[in-house]
Order: sequence, then C-alpha cells, then structure tokens
Amino acid sequence: MTILVTAPLFELGLLGHTASLAVAVAIGVAFGWSLERAGLGSAPKLAGQFYLTDFTVFKVMFSAIVVAMLGAFWLGRLGILDLSRVYVPETFLLPQLIGGAVFGAGFVMAGLCPGTSCVAAVTGRGDGAAVMIGMFGGVLVTGLAFGTLERFYESTGRGSLTLPELFHVPYGVVVCGIVAMALAAFRGVEWLERRG
Amino acid sequence: MVITFRGALAGLAASGGLMAVFAGSPYLARRGQIDVDALASAVAREEDHVTAVELARWIRDRRPGLRVVDLQSDADFVAYHIPGAEHIPLQSLASAPFRATDTLVLYSAGGAHAAQGWVFLQALGYRQVYFLRGGVREWLDEVMSPTLQANASPEAVAAFQKIASLSRYFGGVPRIGDRQNERAAPESREATLPPPSQHATAAEIRRRGC
Repeated sequence: MTILVTAPLFELGLLGHTASLAVAVAIGVAFGWSLERAGLGSAPKLAGQFYLTDFTVFKVMFSAIVVAMLGAFWLGRLGILDLSRVYVPETFLLPQLIGGAVFGAGFVMAGLCPGTSCVAAVTGRGDGAAVMIGMFGGVLVTGLAFGTLERFYESTGRGSLTLPELFHVPYGVVVCGIVAMALAAFRGVEWLERRG
Repeated sequence: MVITFRGALAGLAASGGLMAVFAGSPYLARRGQIDVDALASAVAREEDHVTAVELARWIRDRRPGLRVVDLQSDADFVAYHIPGAEHIPLQSLASAPFRATDTLVLYSAGGAHAAQGWVFLQALGYRQVYFLRGGVREWLDEVMSPTLQANASPEAVAAFQKIASLSRYFGGVPRIGDRQNERAAPESREATLPPPSQHATAAEIRRRGC
C-alpha cells in the first residue's frame, strides 16, 4: 500500500501563503481556546506551578508535547509526513540558556508566559494586557539593539540538534522514553497535588 | 474494571510509545548532518584520504575492520578493482550495512565520487572513513607499477624497495627508469607479472583516465 506524502502542507506546495496564514490563525485560536479552558489565562493559577501547588501548566504543556511527538513520529512512519522537511530550530547554547533564564524570570514575575498572556488579555485581564505590552516592547528593543547583540546571538551554535542524533539512539527509543517520562511525571504530580 | 477517559488516553500514549521502539525510523530517507567546520578541519589536516601505498599496507597487514569500497560503474568494477574491494554504487552507499567501528576506504575511477561518498558517510555519522584521492589510477601507478627514476637518490631507492615489495605482494611490476626506457626491477620478474588479462585491463583503465 502506498500512502501519498501530503505534509508539511506548505513545504510541499499544497497550501499557499494566504491559506497557510489562515490555518495558522485557526490553530492559534484553537490553542488559545484550549489554554483558556484549562484555566491558563489566570496568573495565580500559573504561579501555582512555581509554588508546586498547581501543575496544570505542566500537565497541559507536557500533554501537548507527547501528542505532537507521537503524531509527528507515526505520521512520518506511515509516510504521510516528510519529517526531513520539518524545520528544526538551530541550537545556540549560551544565548538560549540566558534567554531561557530571562524568559523564566519574566514568567515568575508576571505569572504569565507569551501564549497565556494573550489568552489573559483577550479575556479582559489587565495583567495579561500589561504582559503583552511588555513582551512586544522587549521584542522592539531587542530588534533595535540587534546589531549590538548579533555576535552574542549567533555564538555557541550547535546546529539543528535532535535528541536521537545527540544521544545516538533510535528515534523510537527516544519517543518511548519521553512517553514513559510523561506518564510517570503525571502520576507523580497528581500525588503531589493530592498531598498539597 | 472501569476504564476512565484519562486511563484510556494514557494507555493510547503508552502503546504508541512502546510500538515506536520497534517501528523503525520515521524518516522517509536516510538523514545526515554535516559539521562543516569539523569536515573542513579534517580536509585541511589531510585526514580525509589515504594514499594508494597506505591502503596497500592496510590490506596486506589485514587491518581489523577494514572495508574497501569500490564506487566505480559495474563494467569498470568487473574490468579491474582493488583486491578485496566490495562494489557498492554511490547511490546505495547510505543504505550499505556498515558498522560504526569499520574503517571504510572509498575509491572510484578518478576520485571525485569517492570524495563525495566520504562526505555522505561523514554526514551519516561514520568517522573512520577515508578515500583514495587519486582513485584507481593512483593505485595502478603507485602500487601496481611503481617506477624509480634512473638517477634516484639512495633514500628514494630505499623507499622504492619497500614499495616494490608491497607491489609484488599484489602482483604488481615495479620498474626502474623513465617511462620510455623502463625495465622491470630485479627480483623474480617472471613470478610477479600480473596475469595478462589483468595487465591489459589496467592499461586500458589508465588510458581511459577518470
């Protein structure tokens, strides 16, 4: 049985620019709706993650990772998705470590991350709007200062790393390991939530 | 026993993860990654290739894990190939069953295809890969019929004697003198001449070039 490779849709020319943007908007709205329904538009709920009293963020995000990973793996294995044409962002070790620390500090202070701040703002929360203004202000400042930052921004490049290549283990073993890690973590955090 | 919705989802994820272990690669084609700086450094340090004489020594000394890969066309492989070489077309190189510990030496008629194959195998993660820079022509000139100039220095003569011994191991004919006035180097010439058909084929390949 031959299954026609049909994805990535944009890469294979099955979707034009406009249609791709329309699909991106639809996916964005669906993602925002899911975050809101999970209660992630509320800063106190997100802050509960850092106090180890509410693990909703962890569960929602890790579930999304596992679903996307299993979907990408099996669609690739069944010949529907050409994984070699899926963009893997490059790793720049030091800039991304520092960027992650800045992101984390902002997340703790605001109680919101970029996606959830949009959800909070749309549902009429002032803190969400403030975080969005801060976020776009930061993007603007970074863009204006990019000439100065560029050398650092592109330092310690490691290329497009994936876990199977990094650890020299088959892709399927990594998939299985992450699923096992997720299921064990879900069980663990539920136990913590019951105790707390 | 009641199966909850969350339990069913967990079971689905666990099944998908377990089956993934035995499902093979999700990529439609072999996928490699090139560390351009590392490859450029290896080329600059001349660690990317071997000479024909080095390869001949490796074959004679039965270097563990050595695999000599001939990338020539079918007809050229049948006409002449390095002893012990296995014929693998360039387009099949990525799927060839090499082990990570193998020492792979690639050669082609000239050298260009072997150099390209070296890049492909490096991209796939093989590290002990080399190519014969001058291809079959280098093998024929340097191993099968090495030539010592008539007015060579004593050092050159000493080096030639070692290569001549290596050449005879492979049935080659070491020669002394320039190409026009060359003669077989002394030491059992009759016993070391390659079979007529092989000699003719080698001469034909040398004429044909790369």
